[in-house]
Amino acid sequence: MTKPLSHLDLLEAESIAILRESAAQFKKLVFLYSAGKDSTALLHLARKAFWPQKLPFPLLHVDTTWEFKEVIEFRDRTAERFGLDLLVHINEDGVARNINPVDYSPSVYTDVMKTVALRQALDKYGFDAAIGGARRDEEASRAKERVFSLRSPGYRWDPRKQRPEMWNILNGRLGQGETMRIFPLSNWTEKDVWRYVAREKLDVVPLYFAKERPAIERDGQVFVINDDRPFLRPGETPRLIKTRFRTLGCWPVTAADKSDASDIDSVLAETLAARNSERQGRLIDHDTIGAMERKKEEGYF
Amino acid sequence: MRFDPSDAFTSAEPASEIEAYRKPPVTERKTAPELNGIVRLLTCGSVDDGKSTLIGRLLWDASPLYDDQREKLLKETASLHGASRPDFSRLVDGLVAEQEQGITIDIAWHYFDTPHRRVVIIDSPGHEQYTRNMATGASHADVAVLLVDAQAGIKRQTRRHLAILDLAGVRKVVLAVNKMDLIGWNKERFDAIVDDFVNSVARFPRLSWIAIPVSALNGDNVATRSQAMDWYKGPTFVEHLETVGAREDNAHESFRMPVQLVLRDGKGFRGFAGRITAGTIHVGDAVSDAISGRSSTIASIRTMDGDLEAARSGQSVVIELADHIDVSRGSVLTTEKGEVRTGRGLEARIVWLANEPYSSTQGYLLRTATDMVPVASLKILGRLDLDTLELSEAATLEPNGIAEARIDLARAIAADRFTDHRGTGTFMLVDAVTGAAVAGGVIREVSAGAAAEKGAFLLSSELLWRGLCSDLAEDDTDGEFRRRANEVAIILRAAGVSVEFAA
Repeated sequence: MTKPLSHLDLLEAESIAILRESAAQFKKLVFLYSAGKDSTALLHLARKAFWPQKLPFPLLHVDTTWEFKEVIEFRDRTAERFGLDLLVHINEDGVARNINPVDYSPSVYTDVMKTVALRQALDKYGFDAAIGGARRDEEASRAKERVFSLRSPGYRWDPRKQRPEMWNILNGRLGQGETMRIFPLSNWTEKDVWRYVAREKLDVVPLYFAKERPAIERDGQVFVINDDRPFLRPGETPRLIKTRFRTLGCWPVTAADKSDASDIDSVLAETLAARNSERQGRLIDHDTIGAMERKKEEGYF
Repeated sequence: MRFDPSDAFTSAEPASEIEAYRKPPVTERKTAPELNGIVRLLTCGSVDDGKSTLIGRLLWDASPLYDDQREKLLKETASLHGASRPDFSRLVDGLVAEQEQGITIDIAWHYFDTPHRRVVIIDSPGHEQYTRNMATGASHADVAVLLVDAQAGIKRQTRRHLAILDLAGVRKVVLAVNKMDLIGWNKERFDAIVDDFVNSVARFPRLSWIAIPVSALNGDNVATRSQAMDWYKGPTFVEHLETVGAREDNAHESFRMPVQLVLRDGKGFRGFAGRITAGTIHVGDAVSDAISGRSSTIASIRTMDGDLEAARSGQSVVIELADHIDVSRGSVLTTEKGEVRTGRGLEARIVWLANEPYSSTQGYLLRTATDMVPVASLKILGRLDLDTLELSEAATLEPNGIAEARIDLARAIAADRFTDHRGTGTFMLVDAVTGAAVAGGVIREVSAGAAAEKGAFLLSSELLWRGLCSDLAEDDTDGEFRRRANEVAIILRAAGVSVEFAA
């Protein structure tokens, strides 16, 4: 008799099965890739799902133009290393209007540079399904999300149209104008992602590891200065602070944690013992009550 | 917000009572890098039985809940007049737009780790439309907790819940007799409720069960052993969850793997990708394809991490066979030839999930784990009464209803009886036009199917190859041929013509 499977073995097998169903059921799939830890774990799972074939879909990165430069470097390095078909989309209209996270509220900025940008890209290529790394444990409004999450015409999430999912059966049949979002990591937790990154020895963006970085403290949160665009307020002077990131968004709106965890083993130990939830560091979530729920209805990933 | 008037903890100094909850949680925060499997727990019961309080208490006591979540709950509850402890139910009911979300089948997923195991809590609401919600939740569960109020005892609802669990294939039940504090921790009362339950559960011989006296509000026998009930010698709720069997424990059964994809490396390798739903296989084992009936042996079990000597239920693998046999998506691999049934006729129990009732003129598709086929005809044999477990006559099926049905398909599928094999004995019905999932079903019998229905259109594959599909390569790896054939059948069906596929 073979060895019983650990919870991580089971999660891996489930995600691989979801990815294979996606490839079998949709005509024009895309993988929404952010280069973050969840995307990294998911990409590894996708490579396993279709091995020895190449991935049967391209990767799409929605670049807000305010990404950490380390993220962009990692993205390009990863695409090169695994021979992936990488598409990058920027909302040029938003760039022209100079919609940025420093002058605009997180909700306006995210809407224009992420939500609208994603819609533009999906329209441009005509994808009927998009695979993403969202997890149910991330935020309360995601606790009820489906693995195959239906989007009505215009990519809207309509609660009344969400389909029941039973047993191991995934239903990807679409009605007129509908598309699908697919979440193979639905049943993973933040801890599982780090457990998996450690177990599979995956390369991740170096920002997840502690290092002295030029940063400021603002309203009790630490922000790392990633380039020389206007961000500092009068009286603020960057100094070197040993920090790492638990989650990666746009640099002016993603707070870092003070930490000494500089390698995967210490990051894993710190994550398993963490006392605060992951999304604390993302300003977008605190913008207004129920922010994520509305973002989802509008099509934010 | 509900408050219990008989709450013995209500005191003159509510703030300091609440302060006591700021002390560190009971369990060790650090959990192992890899946990001993996953157990999925369905919670059944209404708000009045204390269901949300039980889940909240579990999360509070037994899980590494984050400090910001704990602090938020303490703050929210401290602001309420007279509160002496956190309102644990808020940990599950705290969603801003919970009521407004309006999801038709409404299931929330919560995750936590005990020091040894991943626990997934599947929470379906207990309101009047609960049948379809509960059946959907139960389809994912290894174990269900039935919550009863010790003051009220077993209710009609508890018996109905048992019927749904049995139907959806949950085989393990925990009877949590809650609010023991309100009946003075009385053993005789608990025993009387268990006796009553024995009578109800006797109708379902496949269910195994355990009864635990708890107080969700106070935490007794949830994660910590009750000091007030030393007469109870069994496990606490969490102890039970750490040892109860899970779905993947069927590795000793005979082998099943529904084929998802055929993968190739361009250098002659051809493997069948899928997730094993039952049993264990080894390299060299004989394997049979249910649809074609052809047999071969396992040449290799491949993964990106290297070849395996053996694989078991729950794993996703790629299987290479020694002989070139034509296996495609939708088929089921097994070790014993003829073990998996094939046929066009199904006897099944179905639960109706959609808001619109069943319509005999609507086109439906039947979807199994990896196959999809047009429904030629569906006949409701009778509606199941959850109280008597008897069938009553019915021509149609309303939302929330459970029925016995006879389904004829446009072509044969490979499937098992649900009670033999859970992973290959289920299906969903899909509206052919909107794509919505309208029903879930468990298979009671697979048969060859009735002789071709009079007036049915015989769609021959030869005709399709020569016409509509003449542009496809003969080795149609994407299943595009099957997809087009299905669509033709759907169009004909929508026009009122019954369709069957001829070889």
